[in-house]
Formats: sequence, structure tokens, C-alpha cells
Amino acid sequence: MNKEERLKKRHNSEKRFKFYGLLSVSLALIFVLILIQNIVSKGSSAFSRTTISVDISFDSKLLEIDGPITKKSIENAEFYDLSVESLLKIYPSKDSKEERQVLRLFSPDYEYEIKRYLIKNPDKINQIASVELTSSDDVDQLNKGNFPRDLPEDRRRVSNFQLNIYDNLVEEGKIGKKFNDYFFSKGDSRDPELAGIGGSLMGSFFTIVICLLLSFPIAIMASIYLEEFAPKNKITDFIEININNLAAVPSIVYGLLGLGILLSVMDFPRSTPLVAGITLSLMTLPRIIIPCRASLKAVPPSIREAALSVGASKFQTVFHHVVPLAMPGTLSGTIIGLAQALGETAPLILIGMVAFVVDIPGTPVDPSASLPVQVYLWSEQAERGFVEKTSATIMMLLGFLIVMNFIAVYLRQKFEKKWN
Amino acid sequence: MSDTGHTVKSYAEEMQSLNDDLIKMGSLTESQLADAMEAVIKLDKESVDKIVQNDSKINALRAAIDNQITTVLVKRAPMAVDLRITISTMKISHDLERIGDLAKSVAKKVTPLPIDLPDELVNSLRRLGDLVQKQLKDVLDAYLNNSKDKAIEIWRKDEQVDDLTNLAMNEVANYLQKDKKNLEMATHLLFVTKNIERAGDHITNIAESLYYLIEGEYLEGARPKGKPIDS
Amino acid sequence: MELKNSNIKIKSKNLNVYYGNKQALHNINLEINNKEVTALIGPSGCGKSTFIRCINRMNDTIDICRVDGSIEIDGKEVNDKNVDVVTLREKIGMVFQKPNPFPKSIYDNIAYGPTIHGIGEKKDEMDKIVETSLKKAALWDEVKDRLNEPGTGLSGGQQQRLCIARALSVNPEVILMDEPCSALDPIATAKIEELIDDLKKSYTIVIVTHSMAQAVRVSQKTGFFHLGKIIEVDTTEKIFKNPANKMTQDYITGRFG
Repeated sequence: MNKEERLKKRHNSEKRFKFYGLLSVSLALIFVLILIQNIVSKGSSAFSRTTISVDISFDSKLLEIDGPITKKSIENAEFYDLSVESLLKIYPSKDSKEERQVLRLFSPDYEYEIKRYLIKNPDKINQIASVELTSSDDVDQLNKGNFPRDLPEDRRRVSNFQLNIYDNLVEEGKIGKKFNDYFFSKGDSRDPELAGIGGSLMGSFFTIVICLLLSFPIAIMASIYLEEFAPKNKITDFIEININNLAAVPSIVYGLLGLGILLSVMDFPRSTPLVAGITLSLMTLPRIIIPCRASLKAVPPSIREAALSVGASKFQTVFHHVVPLAMPGTLSGTIIGLAQALGETAPLILIGMVAFVVDIPGTPVDPSASLPVQVYLWSEQAERGFVEKTSATIMMLLGFLIVMNFIAVYLRQKFEKKWN
Repeated sequence: MSDTGHTVKSYAEEMQSLNDDLIKMGSLTESQLADAMEAVIKLDKESVDKIVQNDSKINALRAAIDNQITTVLVKRAPMAVDLRITISTMKISHDLERIGDLAKSVAKKVTPLPIDLPDELVNSLRRLGDLVQKQLKDVLDAYLNNSKDKAIEIWRKDEQVDDLTNLAMNEVANYLQKDKKNLEMATHLLFVTKNIERAGDHITNIAESLYYLIEGEYLEGARPKGKPIDS
Repeated sequence: MELKNSNIKIKSKNLNVYYGNKQALHNINLEINNKEVTALIGPSGCGKSTFIRCINRMNDTIDICRVDGSIEIDGKEVNDKNVDVVTLREKIGMVFQKPNPFPKSIYDNIAYGPTIHGIGEKKDEMDKIVETSLKKAALWDEVKDRLNEPGTGLSGGQQQRLCIARALSVNPEVILMDEPCSALDPIATAKIEELIDDLKKSYTIVIVTHSMAQAVRVSQKTGFFHLGKIIEVDTTEKIFKNPANKMTQDYITGRFG
């Protein structure tokens, strides 16, 4: 019976192992789902913004437009008076305090929103048109149900008076929800309803491009040299150990490097994607070199021998045969390294990419923030409206990372198919 | 035959089996030849049947050896000494079988011979028969001892066999001239003489095969031949 | 069959090869005849592969390998400082134990060698070279309709013939084969042996093999290596019918090794 017992034990331990494996995977999946659910539930509302429809009478006299109505003349016109007058028509009141509260229902950008509407629809001059204006973040959050209404007034962001007007507007059907294009087109702002990732998106984009352009060629060349051409001695061993160590250095140290050398000694412009790109490329270099070298090492020696035997020089052997075969692994490693760089926050904070930047950067030497830094900055803000923006930005970041990983997988498969 | 043994034991066993069978065949042939000669000298007509029957044992061994050799060739693709052993064993077994056949023919000739054979004819036949038997014993010993010198000796002695054959044939020719009515007996005797000589030739073949097995070369030159009958 | 003394293609004189401190070849003096097949036999690790790799200086790729002594091809020293290894390897083709076609199309596999040596610059010239090489390697009929398919998609035997065609594409004078059939089935092996029979009319061939029967079938001259030394060199017939050295005999009859 001993043999049977042992057999049973072996089967049982296998079943247990499979169970543990399944358990761990399920636990991991559950955690991921909880995380995603948490972020999505908080962030999805950021993709819409509450609007209040207001009838605006585009009186050319009030706009102080003389002469012909051209785009230029509209741009030069004064919209403030018209705007305030139109807005106050919602609840005509003589009390200045109440007037202020009415105006505070709207996002402070109303003047420009009305102007933009007229520029887009110049035929509405001297007519009344219904314009959808962005509400203030308090109303926005109220509309999205994030503010509990049953708190005492002094603990609420919205006064009873404002609440009243709001309810009326809801009854009149003047409260609407629009797709929040501001989230993508606008830069940072003190007002959460006007804040967007446009600036940090471009900042991240420039940063990653510079990082790629700097780190990829250097890393590939270094790997090829170290793996194929350098003599195997103590010096190259020393270099290899150091590269492996560099990959494990905390990223904030690179920030210090950037701060100390690029900013202090070399006096590069602060808060720019240029400096961020250079700093991150230093960090990404070892993370590309290591998979690239591993891929080069994995190319079977039979291919090298075949090339050499046909009369190829060492250089030709490496570049015509070995490197193409090492490309799938190298590309995967590169994209993963870049994806890591995309998510770096600490070093970028050190080199100053925390600046409050409203304008969307046009070149890599314009100051900007990056996506993860933006998440950090917004998470520190008090306004409730920033919570959803933060989560939405995290969703965008995760989305980019997933896309980059898919690209890595796709490229790898494509190359493997081609070479196999 | 084999010194540092084959790595594959079954290969060594197969070669050993060839060797053993050949030795068995050799001693069977030896005794057949001796019995046949004895029957002729003593004109023992009763022993003829037994001799004829025993020949089938020799044939059976030859078939068995042939079979084994085919197997060794296809299985082992033998090289060098193993190749030479294989080929030589095949040749030697064929020669032994022929000697056995010739011994049988000699025995069969005893039956028609008259009981009162003249002494001089019997004596010359006996001398020839003794020499050929010795050749056979010697060549089998040479095989056992892997002796190339012995093989050369036997090969050279074929000359003597030829001489003795011619002598015996001359005796018969002379006898016939004296008494012409013994033509039938004379013919039988001539056949017996010739068969014994041919047995000697086959023994010389065996010596040549043995030399090739040991040296890997063929014995040079034509076989030494005795003087022809002069009548 | 006699040794053609006037027809020596490759000659090694007092060749010693070291891997670090270990000596792999001891004083090898061996002559390879022109347009003949020479087989090198011997137990594993006895130095036969090391020897042929000295001929086309493939041992240069191994850092700890040191070559002492001379190897001459057509009277010219191979290890001379002025010899360009790339040009040398154009004259010497090599086929390996495990077929190793490039992960490219069949056409590109053959075209690679000529391209890097500047042969066949125009397309129809290159087409001709590819066709000729594949025909010489007895592979043309099987692949002429699928030259753009990857070389790695062929069967083992076809891959090996592709490697032979690749070696032939640069017009070598010598072909080195390191156990070319050991990974192939009997029919594929037979096709390669048939090919060798044909090729020896135009090329000098040195083949390392573990199969005695194959050495007998394809070669005219055989050298027996053991522990880095040459024990016996002679015509194939002599070695396999009646070797002079007992160690040779013991090896080929399976009594040791």
C-alpha cells in the first residue's frame, strides 16, 4: 500500500499547489479590480462638466462694437458688462451679496466662453442666443451628487440661496452635462472645472520623446559594444556590475543629479521637458541596456558561426544577423523602460516640474508639468473637484501604460514571426 | 582472435560463435576424411552408410555459419580484422564443406571396389591420404593458433600433395597396363585419388584464407605445383 | 589508390593548439589532397573539429585559443599577419553539425555571402548565382518555386543542403564539414553523401564524422585522431581493411572509444 499512498500524496500536493496558484492569481485579480473600480468610480465623472444654459442678448452697443462686425472687432470687444448683465438676469436682485452669489454659480471663465461663442457664431450678433456656460466647480460637484445636501449651511460650499436657484434651474431644464473637452484641451488652473491635463500631457510627451531619442541609441550602441566587441576583462566586468546596479538606483537620485548638474552647473531652464527628458534618459539607459544585452546573449552562436564562415566580418555578423534577432527583446525592454519613465514623479519634482503652468507648452523648452506630477499637484488641492480630475488623470496614465505595453507585445510578436 | 574485447558484448559473442562453429565443422570434416580413408584402406563396406549420413551434419553447420555471417554483415558493418574474420570464415566453411563432400564421394567409391586390392595401389593411396589428412589437421591447428607461418608451410606443401597424387595415378596406370580387364576398378581408384587431391586443394585454399585473415594481404605468387604425369 | 603527392591543397606542419593551459592538438602534420575527400575520425574530444576550425581560422573567435605552427593552403600560410580572414573564409566554406540557415528567405540565405563580397551586384547576376548554388547542392528542384519562403521552414536534410548551397555561393575551393549528417535521417544522409561524391570533382572536402561506415563510403583518405594527436593517416581502404596501428583498429572495430 506504500506505493499507492505515496502516489496519492504526490497527486495531492500537486492539487494543493494548483489551488495555491489559482488562489494567488484570484487574489491579485481581485485587488486589481478593486483598484480599477476605485479609480474609475472617482474619475469617470471628470469626463463630463455641468453646464448652465443662459440666454444672452448680443447687443452690439453693449459690446462697444462700432462699424462692421468682423472677427477682429469681436475679439477686441468688451464682454464683461454684457456677461454680467446676462448672468444676473437669472435672478434679478438688488442685493450685491446675492449678485455675487449668483455670479459664483458660474465658472470664472464665463466672459471668455461667451466671447468664444460669438466668435464661433458671429451671426448671432444683436440676437438672443442660448449659450451653455460652464458652472462653477461647486455646482458641478453638486450636480454630480458629490456634495451631500443635508449638511448645515455653514458647512456646505453652496449656500441655501444658491441651492434654491440651482433647483429652479434644474426644473427649467437649464442644467446640463457636456463632454468635458476642457480636461484635454486646457492646462492647469486654480478652478477645478477649468483644469485640464493638456499642459501636462504635452509635457509628458516631450519628456518621453527626448528620453527615447537620448537613451535608445546610446543604450543600443553600448549594449552591442559591451556584448560583442569589448574584450572580456576586469574592466568590462566592472562596467557590467555597475550598469546592473544603476538600474536599481532609486529614481529620485537621478532627480538630484539633474538638479545638481543640469540646473545648477549647466544652467538649463527649470521645469522644462528638456531637463526632464535628459534626467529620465539617464535613468532609462540601464533599463534598456540590460534587456538588450540579454537579447544579444540569447542569439544562438550557430548564427554567428554561419555568418563568419561565409566570410562576414565581425561587424557584418553583428549588425546583419545578431542585432535583428535581438530586436524583439530589445524593443520590449525599451518600451517597458519608457513606460516606467512615463510614470516617474519624484525626480521630476526635484528638477522643478511642479510649477503651476497654465499654458500648454509648445516646445520642449517651455516650462510644464508631467502627468504623474500633475496627479501629485492636484491631489494636494482642497477642492472636491480636483479629486475626480486626479483619478481621471490616473486613468489616462494607466491607459497610456497599457497601450505602450500592448505595442511592446505586438512589436515583439511581429519581429519573432518575421525571424522565425 | 579478439584481444581488447568489443565494447558491445553481443558483437563479441557473435564473433565467438562463428569461431566455435568453424572449429566444430573442422573437426567433423577431419573425422569424415579419416573415416573415408580408413574405409578405403580396409575396404570396410559397412561403414560407408554412416559416413554418407554424417555428411549432412557438415552441411547443416555450413548453412548455420552462412546465416550468422549474413547477420553480422548487416548488423555490425565489420571493419578491419573483424571484416577479414567474417569473410575468411565464410570461405573456410565453404572449403570445409567441399572437403566433406569429397570424403563422402571417396567413401561411396568403396562399395564397388574388389576386396583383393593389390598392395602397391593401397599403399600409394594411403601415403596420399595420410599427407592430406595431416594437411587438414595442420591447417585447423594453424587456425586455432593464428599462425601465419604454419599457413605458409601448408600452402607450400600442396606441391607434395600433387607429387603423391601423380605417383598414385602412375601406379594405377601401370597396373592397368599389366591387366586390362581391371578398367572399372582402375577408374574408381583414379576418381578416389583425384578426390583426395582436390581435398588437398581446398585445404590449401583454407591456408590462403587464413593468411589473409592474419596479414590482410594475399599470398604472393602462384601456388607451387607438382610435376605433371609423364606417360 | 596512391597518395597524390603533387596535389596537396592543405598542409599542416607541427600544428599545436591550446585552449588556455590545455593543449588540444599536439604536433599535427597532415596533408589534405586537392579535389579529394579526406575524412577525420576519432573519439569525442580528440581534436578533429579543432583541427578543421584552424583551417578557416574560426578558432580566432575563441579568445583563449592559441594556435602554434603552420597551416598552408596552396603553399600560403593561413595564420600570416597579412592574411585577411574575410578573404580567407571566402575560399573556404563550412558546414556545421546542426543545420544553421539564416532566419531569412531561401534566396537571401544564398545571396548573403556574394553580397558582402561584392559578387553579383545586379539582380539577374544574383539570381543566376542562387540558382547555380542550389543546383550544385541538389536542392533547386525542391525549392525553386518558393525562394521567398524562410530557410528555417525546410526539413532538416533540406536545411543542411541549403547550408551547403550557401557555402558554395561564394565559389570556395575547400569545403569543411563538421559531422554534417549527424542530425539527419538516413535518406537525408544518403542525399548528402551523394552530393559529396559529386562535389569532390570540383572542391577539396574535409569531413569530420563519427560514422565509420560513412567515412568509408565518402572519403579517399582518412586520418585517425586520438587525444589531440594523429595516430594514423592513410588511404581509406587501408585504414578500414587493414590498419597498421592497433589503436586505430581498436577504435574502428568498437573495442574502445
